[in-house]
Amino acid sequence: MKNTMVFAKRNLLEVFRDPLSWIFCIAFPIVMLVIMSIVNSAIPKEGMTLFRIDNLAGGIAIFGQMFVMLFTAIAVAKDRSGAFLTRLYSSPMKSSNFVFGYILPMLLTAVIQVIVSLIAAVVISFISDYSLSIGGLLFTVVAVIPSALMFSAIGFLFGALFNEKAAPGICSIIISLGAMVGGIWFDVEGVGGFMYKIGRCLPFLYATKLARAAITLDFGVKEFLIPLGVVVFAAIVLTVLASIVFNSKMRADQR
Amino acid sequence: MGYAIRTEKLVKQYKDKTAVDGLTLTVNEGELIALLGVNGAGKTTTVKMLTCLTKPTDGKAEIMGHDIMKEPDEVKRLVGVSPQDTSVAENLTVKENLEFMAGLYLSKDKADSAVARTIKAFGLEEFSGKKAKLLSGGWKRKLSIAMAIIGEPKVLFLDEPTLGLDVLARRQLWREIEALKKDMTIVLTTHYMEEAQALADRIVIMSEGKVYAVGTLAELEKMTGKKGLEDVFVSIVERME
Repeated sequence: MKNTMVFAKRNLLEVFRDPLSWIFCIAFPIVMLVIMSIVNSAIPKEGMTLFRIDNLAGGIAIFGQMFVMLFTAIAVAKDRSGAFLTRLYSSPMKSSNFVFGYILPMLLTAVIQVIVSLIAAVVISFISDYSLSIGGLLFTVVAVIPSALMFSAIGFLFGALFNEKAAPGICSIIISLGAMVGGIWFDVEGVGGFMYKIGRCLPFLYATKLARAAITLDFGVKEFLIPLGVVVFAAIVLTVLASIVFNSKMRADQR
Repeated sequence: MGYAIRTEKLVKQYKDKTAVDGLTLTVNEGELIALLGVNGAGKTTTVKMLTCLTKPTDGKAEIMGHDIMKEPDEVKRLVGVSPQDTSVAENLTVKENLEFMAGLYLSKDKADSAVARTIKAFGLEEFSGKKAKLLSGGWKRKLSIAMAIIGEPKVLFLDEPTLGLDVLARRQLWREIEALKKDMTIVLTTHYMEEAQALADRIVIMSEGKVYAVGTLAELEKMTGKKGLEDVFVSIVERME
């Protein structure tokens, strides 16, 4: 446990001191929130609710978490490409120290990022004269923790599998794909067809639905409970998978 | 005085290459031994096996009486490594890098005093708040060695510690290594003859994964009839190949 916390602190400092983390994890989602709110104010209100702040805030919270995935992948791939992990492999650190030492700080980063995005949403809601439930916003911070774990685990998996050059590119593809089939920028259910079929097979759409349901405190089975179950299941499976892959890479390095 | 390191017919075989071929060696406690050889001689692979970074294909090795295959956790607590490439956390300050490594090996109280002591011992006071990525090559290498010794290892492995450094930085680092000799057993890999000559109590001459000769400089000179390590090295390697 001590070594996990020592390693987690190091990883947290590395992320917080990288200006790109601030730009992509905090600034970019807020900018998108503002832009989409401006778009929303310019389109007819009837029948178009996707860009309304209660829908937008949940989508943006998940969109921001996708960048946490990117930064987890970069952090792991970068450490693997240098000699820093070589030093740590010969230290008393165990494989669990590595796994949780990478995931915990990213989880914290994701939670901070969600809080900042929701605060921005509150400010926009005041400006746009649309009231958001404070209870719903507070609940959202907790409700999106499983998806934060899921994205951190995906990042950890890609960081363990790919090198420093390939991992960010693959994460960028996942971000684009996840945003589209996850229904962040348009109503993928409404579009239907192939896009919706893919969306239903991946966890991103459920993560977005879960965040949106949490903001409005909608605890319906289809809106909240099923998405929660899918995201929790995906988070657990991906965390276990990422740990197995990282451990096998560690063993391969020691052959 | 006991043995710090003992290896017996240690082998590391990769697909079609034998990186280390039957290494049998003993290193006494408190001794500084230099593994000297050209690139590909098997020096780094030997260090990797002795620090549990890679598993031997065959043979046996002990660090302070602990088997590297059967007791890797014990071995990892006893060794410190400064790898060939500078291995520091780039975005952390000098002090934070040392705190990080101390935190992995020592209790909180001991870690704090070890950090202060190491910063002073390595003359890092001026740079303690500076990010590692902003340090020059020489200071980064110094920090890398400081990170390797902060856990109070019994055996320190320095893999090509002065590679790529200018002559002044190299001499400065030699002084730091000299100062460490009294506290721990040191295994140094190098292909600089003058480095082995200046620092080592005994020199192990390696080539193509094999140990060709082991001894003090005087012993090796007597064995070959040559003067100076460079001539000794060339004579031994040419004779064996």
